[in-house]
Amino acid sequence: MTVLGSVAPLAAVPVGTESQLVIAPMLIVLVAAVASLLLGRWPRARIGVSLAGGAAYAVAVAAIDWYIVLAPDAPGIATYQVGDWVAPVGITLVVDGLSAFMLTMVAVLGIASLVFSTRVLPEIDRRSYYFPLFHFLALGVTGAFLTGDLFNLFVWFEVMLMASYIFVAYYGGPQHTRAAFWYVSLNLLASAVFLLGVGGIYAVTGTLNMADLSRRLADSAAFGIEPEAALGLYALLLSVFAIKAGLVPFQFWIPTAYRAAPPQISALLAGATKKVGIYAIIRLSFTVFAGAPIAVDLSIPGTGVGIAGDSPLIFVGAALFVMAAASILVGGIGAVGRDSIEGVLAYSSIGQVGFIAIPVAIAATTASAELRHLAIVAALVYALNHTLAKGLLFLTVGAVRSATGTSRLADLGGLAERSPMLAIPFFIASLSLVGIPPLSGFFGKFLVFDSAARAEAASVIVLLLVGSLLTIAYATRVWNRSFWGDRTPAVENATTDGVQLAVLAVLAAAIVLVGVGFEPVYEFADAAATAAVDADAYVDAVDPADASDLELPDDGAGNGTESGGGH
Amino acid sequence: MTAVVLAAVIGALFALGTFLLLRRDLIRVVWGLAIISQAANVYLLAMGGITEGTAETVPVLEGHGHEVHVPVGVADPLVQALVLTAIVIGFGMTAFALVLSYRVYEEHDTLDVSELGDRE
Repeated sequence: MTVLGSVAPLAAVPVGTESQLVIAPMLIVLVAAVASLLLGRWPRARIGVSLAGGAAYAVAVAAIDWYIVLAPDAPGIATYQVGDWVAPVGITLVVDGLSAFMLTMVAVLGIASLVFSTRVLPEIDRRSYYFPLFHFLALGVTGAFLTGDLFNLFVWFEVMLMASYIFVAYYGGPQHTRAAFWYVSLNLLASAVFLLGVGGIYAVTGTLNMADLSRRLADSAAFGIEPEAALGLYALLLSVFAIKAGLVPFQFWIPTAYRAAPPQISALLAGATKKVGIYAIIRLSFTVFAGAPIAVDLSIPGTGVGIAGDSPLIFVGAALFVMAAASILVGGIGAVGRDSIEGVLAYSSIGQVGFIAIPVAIAATTASAELRHLAIVAALVYALNHTLAKGLLFLTVGAVRSATGTSRLADLGGLAERSPMLAIPFFIASLSLVGIPPLSGFFGKFLVFDSAARAEAASVIVLLLVGSLLTIAYATRVWNRSFWGDRTPAVENATTDGVQLAVLAVLAAAIVLVGVGFEPVYEFADAAATAAVDADAYVDAVDPADASDLELPDDGAGNGTESGGGH
Repeated sequence: MTAVVLAAVIGALFALGTFLLLRRDLIRVVWGLAIISQAANVYLLAMGGITEGTAETVPVLEGHGHEVHVPVGVADPLVQALVLTAIVIGFGMTAFALVLSYRVYEEHDTLDVSELGDRE
């Protein structure tokens, strides 16, 4: 491999499309993780380093947003070739609108959860590995959003999962260890399936670089690739991503895992790691596999019902429709009957991911480029709202638990009167989840309904309506049972923490702000959706070299090994 | 021939792994997961393409300490790099799963999956 890299000429890249800024968030969070690991004996220093790392991460993500995506003269996409290996030989990191949007979303929630964490852990816990693990979780999520290489995506998934396994088992009680064991088993199996898909795709296409893959699949005849085989293998990957996103029929791990993890981590599991699954589906479907020439005909014989087209997206869309519809129903119905706030929120996450997947499915099956764009914007805005609202709800559960010691609906009541500062953020987040204007949730729901209406899919609209009604039902039930009614002894003796309430207030303000000042958010999501479908720009920016450029020079084989060193 | 043998071995490993995964004993479940992830590794290695090894295609035999020159048909180095990474990750995960099953045993006094499921 050294031989190949040293001989290949580094192509002149236009200024701005290659930037060290791309790797900055990963480096920052890695340094924060290692530093907080080393500072185990000084809990205060550890918290200081963690918070400083979080702040630096926010600055790096903001810089990426502005200089790469949003500034008037921004290139829109930037790459970083790790170790200066040209693509497709080396690992490529890519930031485009889609990655930047996802990073920003996660950064906001991540920092809120980090600040919150410093206030919920008792002194003994601050000496444990909580903060290093938190940063490793963030590292995995960040890496998954930035990488432009399929196998590297697998590696970042594993980094993210390893940290989340430990968080699910964090409290170490009977139900926590049991939940963690199920979670670990399922994800180990999923990792093996991921490897099968990755290995197969490499065997079929000869590359793992996403840009190279996109280029080769679009021109599969010239490269001698069977796109059907690649699509079949992508279906394996799709099931893995559906597990991460928690779509039915892969949702069963979610309720136990979310209830077992500390609430501020459940906020991240719902707000960040789920979105990694959604991101991977959008990225691989629209940027990588969309161009493959495959005739798909999914009509049911004799009925005339069904969809057909010449893109693998049809297949992805059909699969997503089924999974998303089932998720909305299973999640909504399941959430109505839970007996703890986390239980309701965990099932609600299953349903809400269905709401995110429906517009993705519409985007995949439509023939109109305009509708595809709109539907991806809808999915992204809904994902943003879900991250903010569900994150805030889980953090509120954390605050309720540290104030009252319980989160069971039967033991709560009258919280609104006892602690309005706890109730108001919960109320705002619930309304946003339901979709009341002018909160961020309204625009998410509005865009999702709008794309369903433009796709003229009446059954989808009915489904969305049922899902929305279920959302109202469970949100109202939680509110009535825990925040209204007679005060229970647990609520009577509640003591709240100022910093926790401040974090909740900031996130609630963010939900209102996103709703009131929706224009810039829409433009960001618009840029992200453009980037998601623009496979050509992605390929141009990464600029994968042709195999012929990487061949050894003809002037004697000995030359190759000599020049192989030193680079 | 090699390809057929490898395919049969990978298939047998997956079958064995799945069988163990469906057992009631937690340790067997961990074993099943370990075997499945190893089967995926062997599969990954096989995806580099299999050619019969000859003196010209095996780099180590070819150079043998003297002047090394790059042979034409070397084995695909990428899958080997991938599989090394996958082995390390799989090793860590299996170790964690084993520790976790010990913790489950400490907390529940049982390693029977069906007994674990009954308790809330």
